[in-house]
Amino acid sequence: MLTQIMLAIFQILIIIALAPLLSGIIKKVKAFFQIRKGPSIFQPYYDIAKLLRKDSVVSENVSWIFYASPLVSFAAILTAGLLIPIFISDIPFGFAGDLIAVVYLFALARFFTALASLDAGSSFGGMGGSREMFVASLVEPAMMLSIFAVAVYAGSTNLGSISQTVSNLGIDAMSPSYLLAFVAFFIIAIAETGRIPVDNPATHLELTMIHEAMILEYSGKQLAIVELAAMMKLLLVFSLLASIFFPWGMDAAGIPAALGIYLIKIAILGVAMAVVETSTAKWRLFRLPELMSISLMLSFLALISFIIVKGG
Amino acid sequence: MSELILGSRMMQLIIALILVSTFLILGSTRLYSCVRAFGIQSFLLACVAGIVAFSTGKFDIYIVALLTLVIKAALIPYIFIYIIREIKVKREVELYVSVPSSIMIGGVLVVISYYLIRSINIMSELSSLSLSASMSLVSIGLFIMISRKKAIMQMLGILIMENGLFLGAISLTYGMPLLVELGIFFDVLIGVLIMGILVFRINRTFESIDTDMLKTLIG
Repeated sequence: MLTQIMLAIFQILIIIALAPLLSGIIKKVKAFFQIRKGPSIFQPYYDIAKLLRKDSVVSENVSWIFYASPLVSFAAILTAGLLIPIFISDIPFGFAGDLIAVVYLFALARFFTALASLDAGSSFGGMGGSREMFVASLVEPAMMLSIFAVAVYAGSTNLGSISQTVSNLGIDAMSPSYLLAFVAFFIIAIAETGRIPVDNPATHLELTMIHEAMILEYSGKQLAIVELAAMMKLLLVFSLLASIFFPWGMDAAGIPAALGIYLIKIAILGVAMAVVETSTAKWRLFRLPELMSISLMLSFLALISFIIVKGG
Repeated sequence: MSELILGSRMMQLIIALILVSTFLILGSTRLYSCVRAFGIQSFLLACVAGIVAFSTGKFDIYIVALLTLVIKAALIPYIFIYIIREIKVKREVELYVSVPSSIMIGGVLVVISYYLIRSINIMSELSSLSLSASMSLVSIGLFIMISRKKAIMQMLGILIMENGLFLGAISLTYGMPLLVELGIFFDVLIGVLIMGILVFRINRTFESIDTDMLKTLIG
C-alpha cells in the first residue's frame, strides 16, 4: 500500500518535472530545422521560475472563476496524469478511472480555461474561447472513437490493462485497426495540444492564436500555473500515445529502466512533433473540420477493420 | 509457414495504409497533394505485389511489382504534374461535395463494401480485408470522378479504380499471367496519355478544364 502511494507521488513528480523539458526539446528541434540556435532546452524551467517570482496583475472586474480556473485546470490535468500509465503499466490509481475519465478531465480543464477567458471581458479572450470550443467539439468525438478502437482491440477501457494487453501481444499487435487508430490519434494529439496545423503555440498574432488568446489576461504566478498545465497536457497526451500504441518496455525490470525507455519514447515523439510542425503551415480555422473529419473517419475505419478481420 | 503469416500481417498493414492514402486524396484540396497521395498509393500497391512475389516465389510477380513501381508510382504522377504545369491550371481541386462530407461519404462507401464482401463466403482474414479494400477503392474512385469538377481529378479517379482492381487481383489470385498484366500496364499508360491529350484539348477549346463548362455550346 505504502509503495503504491509512493509510486503515485513519484509519477506526479515525474510529470511536473519533465513537462517543461519536453517543451524545451520541441522548441530546440524546431530551431534546429529553422537554422537558428534556439533557446536552451531548459529555458521553460527558467521562464516558469521567473513567472513564479512575479506578482499577478488582475483586472478588478473579474469574478472568482478567474482565480479558480488555473488551479482547476492544473488539478484536472494532474489527476488525468494519475490515470495514465506513464512509465509502468500497473498504475496505482488504475481502479479510479479509465480512458473516458481522462478525456473528460482534459475537457474539464479546457472548460474552465474557456470560462476564465470570457470572465475578464476582453475581446481577444472571448475570441480565443470560442475558437477553442469550436476545435474541442471536433476533437472530442474523434479522440473518443480512436481510443475506443484500441479499447475494443484490447477488450478493456482501463488504460493500464490496454497497455498490458498490447505489450503482451508484441509484434502481433500490429494490425490494420491498430495502425489506423494510431494515425487518427496522432492527428488528435496535434489538435488537443494546440500544435501547428491547428494552433501556433509560439504566436501572439491576434488573428491566429487560440490558446494564447485565452490566457492573455493572466500574468505572474497564475500565468506560471497555466503555462505549466499546458506543458503537462502536452506531456500527458504524448504519454497516452506512447502507452497505448508503443507500450513495449513498460514492464522492464525495475523502475529506472522503465523510466529510461519512457524518456526515449517521449523524446522520439517530441522530435516527430517538431518535424510535423516545421513541415506544415498553420491551417485556416475553417479548414480544421477537414482535418478532424479525416481523423474521425480513420478511427471509424479502425473499428470497421477490426470487425472485418475478426469476422464479427 | 511463419514467413507467410508475417507476410500476411504486413500485407494487412499495407492495405490499411492504401485506404489511408485514398482518404488523403479525398481530403486534400490541392491538385499536387492529390497526385502525391496517388503516387504513395501506387508505391504501397507495388509493396503488396512485392510481398506476394516473395511469399509465392514466382518470378513474374516481381516484374509486375517493378512495373507498378515504375509506371504507376513514378511515370503517371510525373505525367500528371507535367499536365498541371503546362496548362497553368489553378491548383485547387474544385468540388461539388465539400471535403468533410466527401470524407464521410468515403467512409460510408467503405462500410458498404465491407458488408457486400461479407455476404461472399470467403473465410480468410486477409482475403476479406483485401477484397473489401479493393471494392472500396473502386467505389471511392468512382465517387471522386463524380464529385470533382476538374478533368484531371477524373483521370485520377479512374486510376484509383484501376488500382483497386489491381489490388483485388493480386491479393486474391496471386497475380494474373504476365502477358495479361503487361497488357493492362500498357493500356493504363496509353489511357493516361490519351486522357492527358484530351485534357489539353479541353483546355484549349474551353480555356478551362472544368467539366461543367463542357455543357456550354461553343460555335
